[in-house]
Amino acid sequence: MMSGREFFISRYQELGWKYEDVELKQAIRINSMNAEKASLLKRLESRGIKLEKIPFLEDGYWICKSEFSVGATSEYLLGLYSIQEAAAQVPATLFTELTDKTVLDACSAPGGKTVQLADLMKNTGVIIALDIEKRRLTALSNQLERCRVENTITYNLDARQASTVGVKFDRILLDVPCSGNFATDRDWFKRRTIPDVERNAKLQREILTQAAKVLKDDGEIVYSTCSLEPEENELNMDWAVKNLNVQVEEVRCHGEKARASIFGRHLDSSVENCRRIWPSRTQGFFVCKLKKVCA
Amino acid sequence: MMEPIKDFARQLNSNISLDENLTVRRQNRFFLLNKTLKPLASKDFFHAGIYLGKEKDGVFFPSFNLLAMIADKKANKVTVDEKTEWLFICGRDVFKRGIIRVIGSMKKGSYTLILNSYSECLGFGKVLSDLHEAKEGAVVKNILDIGDFLRREKSSSKTHS
Repeated sequence: MMSGREFFISRYQELGWKYEDVELKQAIRINSMNAEKASLLKRLESRGIKLEKIPFLEDGYWICKSEFSVGATSEYLLGLYSIQEAAAQVPATLFTELTDKTVLDACSAPGGKTVQLADLMKNTGVIIALDIEKRRLTALSNQLERCRVENTITYNLDARQASTVGVKFDRILLDVPCSGNFATDRDWFKRRTIPDVERNAKLQREILTQAAKVLKDDGEIVYSTCSLEPEENELNMDWAVKNLNVQVEEVRCHGEKARASIFGRHLDSSVENCRRIWPSRTQGFFVCKLKKVCA
Repeated sequence: MMEPIKDFARQLNSNISLDENLTVRRQNRFFLLNKTLKPLASKDFFHAGIYLGKEKDGVFFPSFNLLAMIADKKANKVTVDEKTEWLFICGRDVFKRGIIRVIGSMKKGSYTLILNSYSECLGFGKVLSDLHEAKEGAVVKNILDIGDFLRREKSSSKTHS
């Protein structure tokens, strides 16, 4: 049966990672458009919050100690920082130059990465943020209001219909719906099966296809999942390279290089440019950057 | 279209001028756009630019973005100490002993912004008794505070659980 703890753990071993129990650390990201880093750190310290700089992130900090919820301080409610898991902070940082760009956040709710994009863009340009579920857009709106984001418009729209917006994009974030991973869901091994994973992988390919259509010729797509399953990651990127006229760009970020040979299948060598983040102090993640191949 | 927003600012003894061409009303909610967002707002959007507030049954409910914009201008303002800041964002009224500084009218029945010691706007309230005459007790009734973001999250998770 293609499910269960042992089945998935043996797959991870085949991919070069030995399973270990993980204890995730809560992380925050400073919203630099609203806060001056040094003074915010001082304010949080004066409240007894102990932070540790996340070495691979510019504005990310792990919470080492806090006597109360970091989601209830004035500083949080004023949008000076956001609570965002460390690995989830990586994708938005992979774009080159975001200032004044037209950006699509195709699967945006609840909006942690949308706010991060606005922060990296210094509230310039425009972010078009889509989500298929209307109720999730309310959560996104609250985030945008709390963090004083000014450059974003949101639509209740399926990412597979992005072309109906009628805009071509410089940058596209595809933080696609995925199967998730065991580090953030204690019942993950009980709930997930390979047919589930394959269903998600198909949806992801449909979203990728639409994104490639609305990407400008010199544009960039950052693709990310919090799944550890190759069907949703390396195999999809191999498919994209072979079908969507895109190439995988090299990125410098946390994580290890992906493999171009998986379960006996030989993938396009550029798939090695993708990064896998195995669960440890962070949850599991997969990230990569795609560019159109110009004739 | 802008009258509910202007009327609200006047209650705080302030004037706010927003570009009418860039202010849009979507059902009962108001948004301030920029020139890039304006053409995109012709489609059926959910949220755009800066959310300013909503009108319900003839009453205007400001956003925290709008309160922050008013706080940058001349307006009634009360600055509170750290303990009062915490109590206020938990939904409590402001007591006289927690007030550090007062700007503008503090007459009974007037409205005022509540700021922390960093001049960041925490919300607004209604003055319960003339501040200069009040000896103790609650002097500003909490009408809206930034703890509302947490209450929205809780009510949303209850609705959908």
